[in-house]
Amino acid sequence: MKPAPFDYVAPATIDEACAVLAEAHGGAAVLAGGQTLMPLLNLRMSQPFILVDIGKIAELKGISRANGGTHVGPMTRQCDAIESKILAQDLPVLVQAIRHVGHHQTRNRGTVGGSITLGEPAAELPATAVALKATIEVRSIRGTRQIPAAEFYIGPYMNVLEEDELVTGIRFPEWSSGHITVFHELAQRPGDFALVGIVGALAVDSGRVARAGLAWFGMGPTPMRATAAEQMLLGQPLHEIDPQAVAESAIADTAPFDDQQASAEYRRTVGMRIFARTLREALRTREVA
Amino acid sequence: MSAPDSTTGTQAGHQPAARPRSGSGRYIGQRVPRKEDSRLLTGRGQFVDDITLPGMLHVAFARSPIARGRIVSIDTDVARDIAGVHAIYTQQDLAPFNVDLLSFYLVPPEVETTPLANGRVAYVGEPIALVIADSRPVAEDAASLIEVVFAEEDPVVTIDDARRGMPVHPGAEDNIAAQMGEEEIDEDLQAQLDGAPHLITHRVVHQRISQSPMETRGVVATRDGAEELTLYITCQSPHLVARWVSLALGLPQTAIRVIAKDVGGGFGLKNHPWMEETAVILAAQLFNRPLKWIEDRYENLIAANQAREQEMVLQIALDDEGKLIASHGDYSVNNGAYPQLSECNIAVHMFVWAAYKMPRYGFLTRGWYTNTVGYAAYRGPWAMESLIRETALDVAARRIGIDPIELRRRNLVTLQDQPTTSCMDIPLEDITPAECLEKLLQAFDVSAFRKEQEAGRLQGRHLGLGIATYVEPTGAAGAITTMTGELAQVRIEPTGKVTATMSTHSQGHGTATTMAQIFADRLGVAYEDVTVFEGDSSRGGFSPGAAGSRQGVIAGGAAIMAADLLATRVRQLAAHLLEAEVDAITVDDGMVHVEGAPDKSRSLAEIASTAYGEPDRLPPGFEAGLEAQYRYQPPPMTFSSAANACVVEVDIDTGFVKILRWISSEDCGTAINPSVVEGQIAGGLAQAIGMVLLEEVRFDARGNPLAATYKDYHLPAISDVPDFEFVHASTPSQSVGGMRGVGEGGAIIGAPALVNAIADALAPFGEVPVDLPLTPTKILGVIEGRDLRSKPDSDQHQFIAEHTAAGPQVEVPATAAGTADQTAAPADIRVDGDWNMVLSTPMGPQEMTGHFETDGQALSGYLSSPEGQMEFTGTVEGGNLKFDLKVQKPMKITLKYTLAVNGDKIAGKCKMGIFGSAKVSGTRA
Repeated sequence: MKPAPFDYVAPATIDEACAVLAEAHGGAAVLAGGQTLMPLLNLRMSQPFILVDIGKIAELKGISRANGGTHVGPMTRQCDAIESKILAQDLPVLVQAIRHVGHHQTRNRGTVGGSITLGEPAAELPATAVALKATIEVRSIRGTRQIPAAEFYIGPYMNVLEEDELVTGIRFPEWSSGHITVFHELAQRPGDFALVGIVGALAVDSGRVARAGLAWFGMGPTPMRATAAEQMLLGQPLHEIDPQAVAESAIADTAPFDDQQASAEYRRTVGMRIFARTLREALRTREVA
Repeated sequence: MSAPDSTTGTQAGHQPAARPRSGSGRYIGQRVPRKEDSRLLTGRGQFVDDITLPGMLHVAFARSPIARGRIVSIDTDVARDIAGVHAIYTQQDLAPFNVDLLSFYLVPPEVETTPLANGRVAYVGEPIALVIADSRPVAEDAASLIEVVFAEEDPVVTIDDARRGMPVHPGAEDNIAAQMGEEEIDEDLQAQLDGAPHLITHRVVHQRISQSPMETRGVVATRDGAEELTLYITCQSPHLVARWVSLALGLPQTAIRVIAKDVGGGFGLKNHPWMEETAVILAAQLFNRPLKWIEDRYENLIAANQAREQEMVLQIALDDEGKLIASHGDYSVNNGAYPQLSECNIAVHMFVWAAYKMPRYGFLTRGWYTNTVGYAAYRGPWAMESLIRETALDVAARRIGIDPIELRRRNLVTLQDQPTTSCMDIPLEDITPAECLEKLLQAFDVSAFRKEQEAGRLQGRHLGLGIATYVEPTGAAGAITTMTGELAQVRIEPTGKVTATMSTHSQGHGTATTMAQIFADRLGVAYEDVTVFEGDSSRGGFSPGAAGSRQGVIAGGAAIMAADLLATRVRQLAAHLLEAEVDAITVDDGMVHVEGAPDKSRSLAEIASTAYGEPDRLPPGFEAGLEAQYRYQPPPMTFSSAANACVVEVDIDTGFVKILRWISSEDCGTAINPSVVEGQIAGGLAQAIGMVLLEEVRFDARGNPLAATYKDYHLPAISDVPDFEFVHASTPSQSVGGMRGVGEGGAIIGAPALVNAIADALAPFGEVPVDLPLTPTKILGVIEGRDLRSKPDSDQHQFIAEHTAAGPQVEVPATAAGTADQTAAPADIRVDGDWNMVLSTPMGPQEMTGHFETDGQALSGYLSSPEGQMEFTGTVEGGNLKFDLKVQKPMKITLKYTLAVNGDKIAGKCKMGIFGSAKVSGTRA
């Protein structure tokens, strides 16, 4: 460790943590699993005055069912979330997404809330939260807020959290049993951030799409909700869905970029292709089932 | 074979090829477990960062945030006031040491290179100031508070920029760091190329690579009194580092001990210290406390020297049968600002056609200075020759309509063709690429694959097969100052255990194991009873260590020779003690036996104990103890050969490449330990996969590195590397023991094998431009027939064009021009007298003194250099001098000098046979 100097606190409760954040006036960094923050500290790209370690706050851990949805504590380790029976039943696509986060070793420390809060645009979990219409629950000494995931992200690694706010939960609405899951990630190596990724779910009622939630990752400055594609799918009988047409409308909701790994044009071209392919396969799996 | 030049006994006439009767032959060639593994796998390795010394302080550097500019001021006042900061040094503080860094050849590089920035910065990350503090974090706190004011200038970043942009180094005429060959293609060669039935013009662009050793650079330096300097430094040879430091720092009176017990990979980066390590060593002397600097990964990716970044165009003329007619290569390599050696990679041209029946080859090769971090070697530094040749041959095969394997069969030099010499006059006696290829084809059914490929294409599966062959000069010794023989010292201790000290150095590849196998085998003792010490310049003797795929070949030979000397002594002593004939003595598993007299068997420990402790019982004239040493000087070069087959599947929807199968068929002669050999090949192939598909050091137009962490610099991970299959051809070489080097081959042959496989898979879509890395974006572009890449950074080119047009940003002395091209008769043409001259050779600049005497149009004199003095006669007309010199080393060539005198300056060219021309410049002494 060779970061710039900082103070360290490990509060035992959310209230204590919020008090520290309020006092720090933006000079604090919240340490969850540390899989991004610790390297950033060593690189001195992050130089907080105080590090608030939320690892000792019991109420931030765990997965439960509440009010017809699923609550995920932000300090829930990714490795524990993968093993969760509740998630396996309620939100299988979230489990699938977490399996693609980093590597075994990083998932042992990394948390669900850490990844969702950080908001790397090419990461799996922020897009999954957007696609599944999750709500980010945040608290500060001023009170609590419920922020729809789709409104949480405003740019790469940028969100709408105020400097005194702490993420205290991620609440996923209920997706009816037997919903269709959509997930595909194209990455150069397992564990890398996506060149292109698509994640989502379709709730089905009487053979028609009752609800649709779809989002891209690696396709813009934030997770990109495929709003037009969701609209197009709503109410459609499953056997009438034209995956290619849906993909073409989904690509309209992206703003991909050039970087060292791939060009924007590559992301658009391949994104549309894997969207159509993934949706087609998801529907086919449904038919077989 | 010369007689042993260094022994402890009287073994004159020892025949190295004859196997002594001691030794069971049960270790050489066996997959014994590595001695290093239990230590390394349980976290007990000793790397530089494991070293902590009493009173040790820590170092961090303030580095340049810009690629090019003049340093206006450095303010360290605020930084110095931080609690825990002891000192801050800039080049001004280090200048009294008068240290100019040295190249691998132990000569100053063409461009003066100081440990810290000397008034200017020339790349992002260049160290400007060194902070000494209680801890690394405090040192970094202070480094971030050092205020440097720059007069920023526009950088030259790419090879293309270098061709057209302002000289990186003020006062230079251009950005050419090194140049060999002919600027214009010879008329006859051009006619052969133009007139051939088939002319293939093939271009390869190789990206810049970070060597990325797992252990980054690092040093702990401590001065013990005036006479001793101890360095813990991660390196490829403690002996070379000790020698380099002694020369670079001018410390002939100081005993320098360099320790590097374990090393986490070097790959060419760690041949010798560079700026940061040198600055730390000097600072430790200045401040007189032990200092530690461990490079972090960010520093490693931006400021450690880097490799590759080359562009080459190869023209190949072939007849209708696919027989090679002639070829020409034009090569450029980005040297960065301060290369460890001003490099134009002459070896690329020496070896490009070495394994093929190529009648004629011409070339131009150049290295370019840019405002980027300097060039260093990387596993197979000349690997471009195999990459461009093997990929061009596949292009030719597709163009002419010949099977690529058949094309190689028609042109490769086979064992039957040898001895012969290559078109670049390389003597070939036992290269076996053709034989490796046939062995490979026994292990891989090409026709079955072609059927599968055809069937796959109908179903939308795009499989490809890549074949590549190559040869590699390994174990080179004798032609270059630092590439010496290797030393083995071995003793049987009074306990009967065997201890050896070697000049070898493991970078993690297990020389302590392979050398122990040799000693156990040749001495007839158990492998467990042999310990090999290395990694410390106070042990063994000089060698360049892990460089040039040499240790198995040369150190292996030295170990055999030393062991055989010692075995002979054991048998002489045992024969005397046991009253038997020497020929009747055998040693096996630590026991000494007399043939036909089992009751006379004794343990080696007992014999050894006598050898040391009972001088009265020794034979007359027998030196006490059981010790031997041998410095082995191998043949100048030992060739390894290989053929590889790689099978890939390309997903034509995404441009992703999946490697399905990879077979390596190599000839490394005697494999001391096949597992170690396979580990070496596999590691090199993994790096080749990284080069072809993943890795890239990129800069923006301002010279800022774009891959500063492993999030952006993608190394191959275990999931990207297939399970390689191995075939060993094993033709013993002419060196003692029959080994051939295997350290670099995988990194050389892997790239063309994989590129060829991808190109074969995509043949229905067109040729794949070899512009590495072949990212999914580039591959999909080939499949779709359109350019999917990001729009080129047009700002950059426009920018450079504007600024070069606008005139110099830096002062260039008006007198800088002064080459032999100025043939007009100069006013002052006093030729007679002594001249200090520099010849830019492939091995770095060579200083020499020239003495000229004229008599009318007759010229006589001598050239004098550290290698000796050579006389010549020639002609002189006006100020123009012409004379020839015949030299024997490194090869027999005639040097043809054409020089012109202008006032007190002399300049011109030296034609060096097949090496082309080199620049000569100098001043009146």
